[in-house]
Amino acid sequence: MTQHSRSRVLRHGVFAATAAGALLLAGCSSSDTPEESDGGAQAFSFTFATSNNLESPYQTLADLYMEENPDVTITTNPTPNDKYGETIRTQLQAGNASDVIQTTPGSGDARGLIGLADAGFLEPLGDTAQSLVPEGSESLFEIDGKVYGQPLDFTIGSVVASFGNAGRMGIADFEWPESMDDLYAACDAAAATGGSLFALAGAAPPNTGLMAQAISATRVYAEEPDWNQQRLDGDTTFADSDGWKDTLQTIIDLNEGGCFQAGSEGGGFDAITNGLSGGTSIGGFIPSGAAIEIAKAAPPEAAFAVEPFPAGDGGTPYIMASSNYTLSINAASKAKDASAAFLEWMSEDAQQQKYYELSGELPVSAYKTMDLAGTIYEPVVDLLASGSYTSLPSNVWPNPSVYDSLGVGVQGLLTGQKTIEQVLADMDTAWDQ
Amino acid sequence: MTGTVESETELIVLPKKGARRGPEAQQPRRSGLLKFGHWWWALPGIILVVLIHYVATAVGGFFAFTDWSGIGDFAFIGFDNFVKIFQDPTKIAALGNTLFLAFASVVLSNIAGLAIALGLNRGLKTRYVLRVLFFMPVVLSPLAVSYIWKFIFDFNGPLNAMLGAVGLEELAKPWVADPAWAIWTVLIVIVWQNTGFAMVIYIAGLAAVPVEIEEAAAIDGTNLWQRFWHVTLPAIRPAVAIATTLGIVNGLRVFDQIMALTAGGPAGATETLATQVYKQSFSLGNFGYGAALALLLTLIILAFALVQQRVTNGRPEES
Repeated sequence: MTQHSRSRVLRHGVFAATAAGALLLAGCSSSDTPEESDGGAQAFSFTFATSNNLESPYQTLADLYMEENPDVTITTNPTPNDKYGETIRTQLQAGNASDVIQTTPGSGDARGLIGLADAGFLEPLGDTAQSLVPEGSESLFEIDGKVYGQPLDFTIGSVVASFGNAGRMGIADFEWPESMDDLYAACDAAAATGGSLFALAGAAPPNTGLMAQAISATRVYAEEPDWNQQRLDGDTTFADSDGWKDTLQTIIDLNEGGCFQAGSEGGGFDAITNGLSGGTSIGGFIPSGAAIEIAKAAPPEAAFAVEPFPAGDGGTPYIMASSNYTLSINAASKAKDASAAFLEWMSEDAQQQKYYELSGELPVSAYKTMDLAGTIYEPVVDLLASGSYTSLPSNVWPNPSVYDSLGVGVQGLLTGQKTIEQVLADMDTAWDQ
Repeated sequence: MTGTVESETELIVLPKKGARRGPEAQQPRRSGLLKFGHWWWALPGIILVVLIHYVATAVGGFFAFTDWSGIGDFAFIGFDNFVKIFQDPTKIAALGNTLFLAFASVVLSNIAGLAIALGLNRGLKTRYVLRVLFFMPVVLSPLAVSYIWKFIFDFNGPLNAMLGAVGLEELAKPWVADPAWAIWTVLIVIVWQNTGFAMVIYIAGLAAVPVEIEEAAAIDGTNLWQRFWHVTLPAIRPAVAIATTLGIVNGLRVFDQIMALTAGGPAGATETLATQVYKQSFSLGNFGYGAALALLLTLIILAFALVQQRVTNGRPEES
């Protein structure tokens, strides 16, 4: 009897062990297999940020690349924008990041390529990437002369406005305000129809931060284009800067003037998408390319345009414009050649043109020579031509905490939790940490 | 090659047939499968627990004393991170929020859970169905629950619409972005989901209370409240201890609900130690600082767990 039950138990035990082992091996073997070294099939993965559910231009371009190169397979990983930086950092740290990663120039953001390259996560790129780096901003792309991100775009960080929406809201002959008085009049006109001039995602730091930067273009950088360098050298602080105080005061004034939609301090990105595509708001502080994505959900008469935020009394028109999207290659990638070939393809004129059509962002290699009449960029052509622009300050700032303090602080201004002095002091503390 | 096999001559004593054996086999005879158990069979499980829980926690605790950014190299900085925590008013506020959410959620969910358990203890015909209904929120994903509540609290969502429908438009506000109300929205979601859990613990506790005692008290002329306070409550004291221990330890760790509803906002009004750990370590690249916050949170939870252990074990069993 003992012998019999013992062998039964042993049989069950062996079966259980085999089943457990099989499950374990199945789990282990399901990880990605990037490039197969035998000639022919090539595959790599590509991570990029998305702010909505509309098709990303990166997805379309990846599909196009696969059509032109049937032996290549690209696994795309669209990742939510509001947690993008920490997601890719965690993946890089854990070793399971994609081969090609969308990053941003500089060090002022968790997804900034300088920080990632410093930690050894990115592969140095070749001459093509080097040639695309805009003059004067090499420090945002290079360490020791090696470029770690290939710029794709030239983005205007300003207001994107829909003239079609103004019509839908019942505002006749809407013209973009060129002075603050005209702006507040436009706010009143929009609020009278039950809508708002601006759709704001008050609870999303990337949007509040971008708004603050867009306004700071005329209040801070128009007078002192080298303000960031002064701060780096310790010659000034946020708390001492009248320009930054003016910027934050403008935001408070916009809120009190009814320029934002009701409940804006709690709005997320969906508030902007819904407001602009649904016709209840005229504009938003979004990257110029986002207009094209939203236009896909909006009716064709939306007529988006990139407009500069008006300067204060006696101020000079100025906008934020710089490359914000770069492609980098993971240093631990096993498909570097395939990834590099994809980046090379992205830099070609045909693809730059396609990128422009799909994303709405100006192509980095061609924006200076393009004829922008009739496009959404027509209102800012003169500012670009006269060089009245500077790159996004957040790319230049030394760590992500400064930009985070700004984005969170603006929400505090909207809810009344923080004063201007407190927000600027927080930014200084974050800078010096 | 001489291969000499050493062999010793041993004296082997054969037991007499039929005679009782002396001391049995070294190990006591156990029934069934346990016959084949050995202490070292638990070793793989023990190793896994040590690695995943204790070694990982120790490594994280080590980084609390460095300035690591999460990537790249780091330097040892001693207690600087901890000094920074206690000098930063936002971190003290986060500590306050952590304790508030833990205690308030325990008190509210336990009172509500006990009330529902008492109501569904006996008598009601539909009590089994109702018990299932009240427990269902517990099995849902906290993140999914939080997103639905976020929609409810949205400025254009059902709550404000309902307030408008009954003529209370002036009360409508962006609930999750209101500095005063945001923490209460988080509390409501936590209590909504965890009341069912407290309820099942109390139902189990109440089931062990003999009906005769309550009947005897009723015969002696006590009213409902006196019966509850003097008879029922002392009898379910172990259940209260268990429910509050679990509640406090879980309440101190709350993360999903806050991140989904307010992300720590507005402007840090609903930040707790757990959300600050995430933000500092991963969003802002201050891994060492985040690890210090995590270590602090661990010590606080450990302190409360020990206190509760004392309270539950120190009490003699009342039979």
